[in-house]
Amino acid sequence: MMKKYGLLLLSVLMVLSMLLAACQQPTEQAAGGGEAETGGKPGEGMYFRLVTHGGDDPFWAVVQQGMRDACDELGCQADIDLAGGDLADQQKAFEEAVASKPDGIAVVINDNTAWDKPVSDGLAAGIPIIGINNDDTEGSSGNDRLGYIGQSERRAGFMMAHKVFSEAQAAGVDMANAHVAMFAEVPGAAYAQVRSAGVKDAMEMFGITSFELADAGGLEMTTVESRMTDYLVAHPETTFLLGAGGICTDRLTSALKAAGKEPNEVWAAGFDAAPGTVEGMKEGYVTASIDQQQYLQGYMAVYVLYLYNKYGLMPNIDTGGYLITKDNLGLIEELSGTYR
Amino acid sequence: MQRLKIRPITIYGLNTALTFIITFLIFSIFTPDHLFLDPRNLASMAKLTPDIGVVALGIGILMIAGEFDLSIASIIPFCSYIFTQFIMNGVDPLLAFILIFPIGATFGLINGLLVVSTGLPSFIITLSTMLFWKGLLFGLSRMMPISILKYVSDTPIEKILTGQIGPVPIQIIWFGIFAVILGLLLHQTKFGNWIYATGSNQEAARAMGINVRMVKTVCYMIIGVLCAWAAVMQAVRLGSFAATQGIGFELKTIAAVVVGGTALTGGVGSMLGIVLGVFIIRIVENGLILLKAPVFGVEMFIGVAVVIFVLLNSFVNRRLARQNS
Repeated sequence: MMKKYGLLLLSVLMVLSMLLAACQQPTEQAAGGGEAETGGKPGEGMYFRLVTHGGDDPFWAVVQQGMRDACDELGCQADIDLAGGDLADQQKAFEEAVASKPDGIAVVINDNTAWDKPVSDGLAAGIPIIGINNDDTEGSSGNDRLGYIGQSERRAGFMMAHKVFSEAQAAGVDMANAHVAMFAEVPGAAYAQVRSAGVKDAMEMFGITSFELADAGGLEMTTVESRMTDYLVAHPETTFLLGAGGICTDRLTSALKAAGKEPNEVWAAGFDAAPGTVEGMKEGYVTASIDQQQYLQGYMAVYVLYLYNKYGLMPNIDTGGYLITKDNLGLIEELSGTYR
Repeated sequence: MQRLKIRPITIYGLNTALTFIITFLIFSIFTPDHLFLDPRNLASMAKLTPDIGVVALGIGILMIAGEFDLSIASIIPFCSYIFTQFIMNGVDPLLAFILIFPIGATFGLINGLLVVSTGLPSFIITLSTMLFWKGLLFGLSRMMPISILKYVSDTPIEKILTGQIGPVPIQIIWFGIFAVILGLLLHQTKFGNWIYATGSNQEAARAMGINVRMVKTVCYMIIGVLCAWAAVMQAVRLGSFAATQGIGFELKTIAAVVVGGTALTGGVGSMLGIVLGVFIIRIVENGLILLKAPVFGVEMFIGVAVVIFVLLNSFVNRRLARQNS
C-alpha cells in the first residue's frame, strides 16, 4: 500500500518536472529562435555552445539572457552548460559539445593548463573556439583559443581598489599604515587571485603594504557575513574591506554594522550589484563596485562566433571595468537581474 | 502496546556540555584582549548562529530516529523564494510568513513519504529531492537575487524575526524557544520515546506497536517547518532572496549534531547536546579567527576539531555504556 503511495508521489514529481520543462519550452525556443520567428534572419541554421563553470549563481542567468537575446536577433540556436564549478564536469560538457559539431564554442578557460589540449583538439576538428569570462593568464600565448570576451580581471581589481583608495586618501587616511583585507568566496579560484593582483597594483601606487586575502567560506551568505564580522573584530587595524566576488560584496555592509563600524570608518568596495551592495552604497558603507557587464559575455559570444562563421572576424573584447558608485546607482538598480 | 518509560534528558548531553564549557573558556581566555567576550562578537554570534541552528535542531531529532535529510539545502531557498513571491504579489509579509509553514511541512511530508514508502536509504532519497527542488528553484528563479527590503523594512515581521530585545538579538531567543519546545517533545513525551525507539531498533519498535513510518514522516515535517522559519528569518535579515541560501547546511548541520553527541546510527542523542554542538562549531570558527589563525583555510582547523570532539564523545559514550552494563 505504502509502496503504491511512493510510486504515486514519484509520478507526481515527474509530472511536475515535465510541466516545468513544458513551461520553459517557449523561452528556450525564443532563445534559439524557433523557425516560425526566424524567417530571414542572418544566423539561421547556426548552432553554438557556451561551456561554463557557472552554477548556483545569479551571475550566469544574466550571461544566459545575453545569449538568448543575441540568438533571438540573429535567428541562431545556442545552449549553455553550467558545470557548477566542477572542472571535470565542464570538460565532459566541452567534449560533448565538440562531438555535437556546433558552429562554434565559447568556453570559460578557468585553468591555465587543463584547457590547452581540449581547445587545440576542438580547433583541429574544425570548430571555432573562443574564451569567455575567464582566460588563460598568458592570453593567446597560453591557449590556442581564437579570441577572448570578458573582463580583464586584473584591471577590474585595480580600478575598484584605485577608486576606494583615492576616496580614502582624499579623506585624510594614512595610507602608509593602512591594512587591506580582501574576502573571496573561493580564494584559490582564478578570479580571486587575479583580482587581488590588481588590488596589489593599486596598493603599490598608494604606498600601502599590508594585505590579506581571506577565505569567506563559500557562497552561503551567513557564513560569509560571520567570517567578515569575526575578522573585523579580530583585526581593528583593517582600513579597507574588499569583496572579491558578488556575494562577499553583498555582505560587506552587514558585517561592518555588526562589528560596530560607521560608514567610511572602514572603507569598503567590491564587485557586482547584488541587493546588499546597492543598499550599502545608499547608506554610505560601500564606496564602489565593479560591474563586469556579464550580459555582454553571453551576447557578444554569440555575435562573435556568428561573425567568424560569416566573415572570419575575430575581435578580443574587454567587457569589464564599469565602475558603480552612488552617482550611477539608479540605472544599475533598474536593470539588475536582467541586463546588469 | 507496551508502555514506554518517558526518557529524561540523557546523560549523553552532559559530556558535550563539558566540551562546550572548555571550548568557551579556552577562547575567552586566550583570544587577544579577551575579544571572544566582546559584546559585539557575542551579539554577532547570537544573531547569525540560529540561521543554521534552528534547522540543526530538526536534523538532530531525525538523526536520532535513524534517518538523514540532505534536502534542507534546497528547501530553505525554495521557502525563501515562495515567501518572496507572496509578498511581491501583495500578500502581507506577516500572512506570507504564516502561509510558508504548511508549505515547509509539505516539503517534509514529501521526503517522509518517499523514504518510508520506497524503503530506499534516506541519504539517497533526500539527495534526489535536494537536486529536484534545486533544479526546479533555479528554473523558476533563474538564480537571480530578489530584493525585498522595501516590503519588509520597519514592518512587524522585521521586528519579530530580526529585532532586538535590549542588547540581545531576537534570533537567539527564537532559537532557545525552538530548542525548549523540541527538547520537551523529545524528552518528555511518548512521541519522543518513539523517536528513540525507532532509531535504536526499528524492528523492535514496530513489534512494540510503534508506527515507525509515522514517526519518521513527522520528523521530516518538523524539519520542513524549521526550514521555512530559517528561510524567512534569513531572507528578512538579508533583505533579499538568494538562491545560495542554505548551501552547505546539509553537511554543517550533520557536523554540529554529531559533535553534540548524536549517533549517526540513530537512537542516541539529546536536545541539549544538539544545541551545544551547534554552538561549539560556531565558537571554534569564531575563536580561531579571533586568535588570528589564517582565515585562508580555517575549515581545516574546524575539520580537525570535529574529529576530536566526536572521538571524545564516543570515548565517553563507550565508558558510560560499559558502566551501565
